[in-house]
Amino acid sequence: MKTIASNLRIFWQGTLLSYIALFGWLRPVTYLATKIIGPLMQMLFFTFLGTFATGSENAQFYVIGNAVQIAALSGIYGVTMSVGGERWAGTLVYLFGTPANRMMMFFGRAFMHIIDGALGVVIAFAWGLLLLGLDLSRTNLPALGLTIIVTTISTCGLGLLMGCLSLVTANVGFVNNTVYFLLLIFSGANVKLSILPAWMQATSSVLPLTRGIASARALIAGAGIQEILPLLAQELGIGLVYGLLGYFLFKWVEVSAKQRGTLETI
Amino acid sequence: MKFKNIFIHWRAVLIVAEVTIKHQMIDGFILFTIIVQPILVATLALFMLKDTAQNAAMFVVVGSGLTGLWSSLLFISGNSINVERWQGTLETLVGMPTPFEVVVFGKNLANVIQSLLSMTGAYLLASIFFGYSLYMDQPLLFVISLFLSVFAFVSFGLTIAPIFVMYREVQQWQNAMEFPVYILAGFLFPILLLPGWTTPISYLLPPYWAAVALHGTSTANAPIQQTLFAWGMMLVFSMIDLFIASRLFKVMLHKARVDAVLDVQ
Repeated sequence: MKTIASNLRIFWQGTLLSYIALFGWLRPVTYLATKIIGPLMQMLFFTFLGTFATGSENAQFYVIGNAVQIAALSGIYGVTMSVGGERWAGTLVYLFGTPANRMMMFFGRAFMHIIDGALGVVIAFAWGLLLLGLDLSRTNLPALGLTIIVTTISTCGLGLLMGCLSLVTANVGFVNNTVYFLLLIFSGANVKLSILPAWMQATSSVLPLTRGIASARALIAGAGIQEILPLLAQELGIGLVYGLLGYFLFKWVEVSAKQRGTLETI
Repeated sequence: MKFKNIFIHWRAVLIVAEVTIKHQMIDGFILFTIIVQPILVATLALFMLKDTAQNAAMFVVVGSGLTGLWSSLLFISGNSINVERWQGTLETLVGMPTPFEVVVFGKNLANVIQSLLSMTGAYLLASIFFGYSLYMDQPLLFVISLFLSVFAFVSFGLTIAPIFVMYREVQQWQNAMEFPVYILAGFLFPILLLPGWTTPISYLLPPYWAAVALHGTSTANAPIQQTLFAWGMMLVFSMIDLFIASRLFKVMLHKARVDAVLDVQ
């Protein structure tokens, strides 16, 4: 019981402090620019591009795709910086010097970003309703809420893996930006997966977001929760696989860095 | 600040540009901004626009190249002074005999020229991976448009860099300023799709006139009057930007010396 309480405390402290540390620079105007106006502009760009390509009657396809894709903003950038930031801040040595449960420490880094990412997607949907004619009249809203949370969790799973990569490469910004833009193509946010080549469809099927976006589109078109539950289960499973891969990489980085004395190498 | 200095110190401009390119070609963020991101935007746009028009691929090549130009201008040229501050070299640059604006002009020139790689990358993507046979309607006019666009972008960059140094609250919006210009300048779709009230804003943006000239000469077979007008607007805006930049540089350097905050981060 004592161990569980201790692990929960480590999880919560890691969650809270890593988030505060990451956003120590944050002011309301920065949050507004980064998390509210920036995503709106991205949505507008791809929605206009999509309607130019396929007609205004298809606007909803792009609005939904890009609204859900906003989860990657927290999932990829936020989580990666929370994990990789330990190295840049010089705190990785202390982190690996503690006897704290590594799994709690590691997954705690993603928790606040799940909340923040889900909030970002809700804000994006609100922009869709207010400015882009999104119609949620036939939507099962609790199911859409569940879809948003599951998709954000799965995206954060990929973020945890990316965060570990940031412990072994100095070019984390390059990798993060590339992955974020690749998700715009491969997740089906802007292109129907059926028109992509087979190898791209195969890649899409093992990425987070793909099934989350498909679920959101189905729900908004009037589907019931029963129809999208298999998709959500797969989306969650994919996220957990990425998260676990990240965890094992995290463990390997710790052992390897201690053996080679490279904990502080940046 | 005197812009005749740029012509007097042309050798310094070229050396700064050369050193900047050598320095930046190993920077992951810059490589992403000028090569990877435009190629990914082009990939997406090629999938989305492939059935829209006969010469859609060339439209995408030029449009995605322009996104690379703007992103480079915003993030790299915009930080061209700040980055010297972060590296601790700003005081030395300001203190040496070569005028500071010459150094920043050379840096911006390098940034804009290297961002033309974005158009080259998109061209190779469309022709090799997507198998399009690309042709240009008015190649000579396109090349002239490209030169004027480079000049317009460099001049615009000279106004952004000192603003980001003096007004950090403006720089907080840097990330949110990338897509609005993609939209308002009509890089990948016509601004006719946008609400009418945004049109005057587009007209005030040099990247919009660059897009008019480059799209017009590459894919739209635009009448010469339209291209000439776009060239004229780019020249007018370049002059205005250079004038504004001259004032901004003066204020920035005066303020930095009076407040002694040149290297304060």
